[in-house]
Amino acid sequence: MISRLRERLKLRNSRLSSKLIMTYLLLTVVPMSLLGYVSYAQFTRSIEEQIGEYMPRFLYQANSNIEQRISELSALPDLLFNSDDMIAILRRDEEQSVSDLNKDIFSLNSYMSRTYLGGSNPDVLAVFLLSKNRFFQSSKIAYTGFDRDQAIAPYRYELNNLVEKPKIILPSETSLRFTNDVPYVLIMKQIADTDNRRILGTMFIAVQLTFIDRILHDFEKNDKADLWVMNRKGERLYHTDPEKIGTYDPDINRYPILNGSFRTTGDGPKRLVSVTESAQLDWVFVHSIPLKYLTEKTDLVRNVTIFVFLGIVLVTTVLSVVFSLNITRPLKRLSRLMKNAEMGHFQVDHSLQSRDEVGSLARSFNSMITTTRELIQTNYRIEIRQKEAELYALQSQINPHFIYNTLETISMAVEEQETDTVVDMVTLLGRMLRFSVGNKAKSVPLADEVQHIRDFLTIQKYRFEERLTFDIQLAADIERENLYSPKFILQPIVENAIKHGLETHKALDIQIGIGKEMSLRSGKLDVVYRIRDNGPGIPAEKMLELEEALKSDTHIDKDSGFGLSNVNARIVLMHGPEYGIQLHSIYGKGTEVIVRIPALNGTEALADSGGLEGEGER
Amino acid sequence: MLTRRRRFPILGLLLALVFVSACGKGSSDSYKVIYEMETPAASADDALANSPAPHYKIGVVPKLSNTYFDVVKQGAQEAAWDIDVELLYKVPASADPEEQIGVIRELMEAKVDAIAVSANDPKALVPVLKEAKEQGIQVITWDADTDPEARAFYVNMVDPETLGRHLVDTLAWSMNEKGEFAIMTASLSAANQNEWIKWMKAQQEQYYPNMKLVEIVPTDDAPDKAYEAAKELLKSHPNLKGIVGNASVGPPAAAQAVKEANAAGRISVVGLSTPNLMRDYLQEGYAQTATLWSPKKLGYLTVVLAKNLLLGQTPYDDQMVEKVGKIRVNGDMIIMGAPLDFTKDNVDQYDF
Repeated sequence: MISRLRERLKLRNSRLSSKLIMTYLLLTVVPMSLLGYVSYAQFTRSIEEQIGEYMPRFLYQANSNIEQRISELSALPDLLFNSDDMIAILRRDEEQSVSDLNKDIFSLNSYMSRTYLGGSNPDVLAVFLLSKNRFFQSSKIAYTGFDRDQAIAPYRYELNNLVEKPKIILPSETSLRFTNDVPYVLIMKQIADTDNRRILGTMFIAVQLTFIDRILHDFEKNDKADLWVMNRKGERLYHTDPEKIGTYDPDINRYPILNGSFRTTGDGPKRLVSVTESAQLDWVFVHSIPLKYLTEKTDLVRNVTIFVFLGIVLVTTVLSVVFSLNITRPLKRLSRLMKNAEMGHFQVDHSLQSRDEVGSLARSFNSMITTTRELIQTNYRIEIRQKEAELYALQSQINPHFIYNTLETISMAVEEQETDTVVDMVTLLGRMLRFSVGNKAKSVPLADEVQHIRDFLTIQKYRFEERLTFDIQLAADIERENLYSPKFILQPIVENAIKHGLETHKALDIQIGIGKEMSLRSGKLDVVYRIRDNGPGIPAEKMLELEEALKSDTHIDKDSGFGLSNVNARIVLMHGPEYGIQLHSIYGKGTEVIVRIPALNGTEALADSGGLEGEGER
Repeated sequence: MLTRRRRFPILGLLLALVFVSACGKGSSDSYKVIYEMETPAASADDALANSPAPHYKIGVVPKLSNTYFDVVKQGAQEAAWDIDVELLYKVPASADPEEQIGVIRELMEAKVDAIAVSANDPKALVPVLKEAKEQGIQVITWDADTDPEARAFYVNMVDPETLGRHLVDTLAWSMNEKGEFAIMTASLSAANQNEWIKWMKAQQEQYYPNMKLVEIVPTDDAPDKAYEAAKELLKSHPNLKGIVGNASVGPPAAAQAVKEANAAGRISVVGLSTPNLMRDYLQEGYAQTATLWSPKKLGYLTVVLAKNLLLGQTPYDDQMVEKVGKIRVNGDMIIMGAPLDFTKDNVDQYDF
């Protein structure tokens, strides 16, 4: 796995686009996600700390409000001193008649009812007063489990110091129950007669817990939070959830502090718990809220951030892909162009017009290709010019021997005074010279070429007289069409035939046929010259040598003096390798030279020869 | 395609990082304290607990020994128990200021931390009290004041004006607002009694033109002398309709004289005295109203305030004193409360 990963991470070998995308993502995704995570965590913690610091203060305030309220309630017994009659009843010793006793009880009960239950203390549920074995009571709602013996019995031995400091009795510590199980606490306080320095009795004030409710609700209106008040044993005497009043908090001994805030990290939802203890009442105030409600708004921000983050990642990914493709695609195209150039296709691609480095690379490459192509074309043209010059030199050549021989023949004719012959020959020679000199084009009308060879043969006929016979057959369709032919292609062949034929034989017959034939090699109707002689023929080994020379040696060797290959090379140069010369020969019987050229009319021939100039593709 | 496949491990790595950092926090402890509050209450308690109050010695000097001052002593003793001080209750043999000076010197020799004195003479005690002050002893007065420069403050039982006017009111009610009356005071030099007499006269002049003050006689707070003085009053003023006493031995002596003269109904007796001294006379009709405060409460308050002063706490208006109630402060005079009236109907409620 690790080695695979390492292989995968081998940056050097991966593609440029992958590297770019990876770098881009690393530069955007990683810092953004880290930044987002860190700031979210920091924000959450600061909220937690803020609440954690604020809540204990609030609880402390609530606590002091409740302590204040309790001490107000604890001062209620003193209201008895407002009435001398009531104090007189309490000061009275118990030796009195039953009716007097009942009258006192009635008076005190109704006084307490008026003073405590009807007054400005809506929280007071009931008031009980134990004095000198008498039991006074006044209650708003029905109750059970509280009478003279039950009330004081549990506290018989802790009655010291209850003058200043009231004792708070929780429902679990007494049998007092109100109907409907109204939650309450009992404030127990002794009534001191400061004049006589005596204890007059003990008062129990049952207080409904609504006052805690009111105080706490002023502070905390979030119903997701739990607020409760418990004693040190964990008994909840008040809870925002009324069901839980009277239950125990099993964790109280595990709380790390009782003044401050902490976070639960155990099982279940995490909560932020703030506690404050009341020194005066020995109560612990607890505020507990699930962390997720605390960070509710932050979570919204977090979710939005995550969405925005994902969006940005998506956009940056797309951007990085587009960007890297933008860089690599031109590079790929360039490399394809280079490959093409390597294969010899010098193409220019002008679609890469960007102004960046790739664009300038492409431009450089384009200009390089253009330059290369121009260089090639220049070289090509120079070579062609050179070849043309050579061709011209070749084709414009009329063998000086021939002129010399002709002139000698004319001179002999003059001596013999054959005036007609002389005139004829001079005329022929002049026409030949004009043909040779006058037209510098490579192609001439086929008729002119044929006329020229006829003139040549006629002159030779004057010279060799009966030793030489010839015949020229022109196919009818050739005569009709205005066809063109390369210049001077027949004369070297015929010269060759006359030279070799008359060297070894007494007489030579030359047949020239001109016609159109279907060619396998070009797939067209071509013009074919057939020059047949009955000369000595060509020996087999010489024949092979010749064919080899015709096939391979396309360049014109001016000095070789070998007319056949000269002609063949010119035709191949002008019209391609499918044209040229073929040799058939039977040793001792004769030779046939077949010259194949394309059937071109005047314009085509001009275009073809002109095409040599403009041809750049090959 | 290659690039996409390659991106996944990186994303996965990031996610893993986030998860690890989210879960890895503090699983060792199930509670993590975020904030710990210093409780001002607790720290104040600590400060008190760290320096426990020294065991103070407080000397209390009454004017002399009689029923009233005996009850005061009970209250002072109760306070000494409650607030853990040593009480030295030294009684002068008589109302003579010289006797009281001697007692104060004894207390100074006993190295008390504070002296609370009920002065027989406002001027005579000033030098010795100043001397005590120079020794570093805190001096307060109670019941009867001295000149202000001699003490820190004065613990008065009731507002003098209220008391003086109220005493005349109870007398007027008993004698139908007309006729001659006499005042029995403790000593003509006692500051508190003279203050009350001033207000008694003012009240009579303001509301009761038909009543006439005929004589003011001193009793020296001695029952025998008071009894003689009362008999003398009856003899010398045959038209006398009422006697008001502003020191505790006065009204019982007057009632006894009325009883012996068989003048119940003709001569009304009211004034400052304790319920125990007056109970029989009230119930038998020789006296109509007795007025007082709780001497126990006065003794208790005096000791408590003396200790508070040693702790550096001066009393303030509306202060809630435990087992006493709220006190009023008027300048350097502390007022314990309102006067109590004892009649034949309620006198049984009181045990002093």
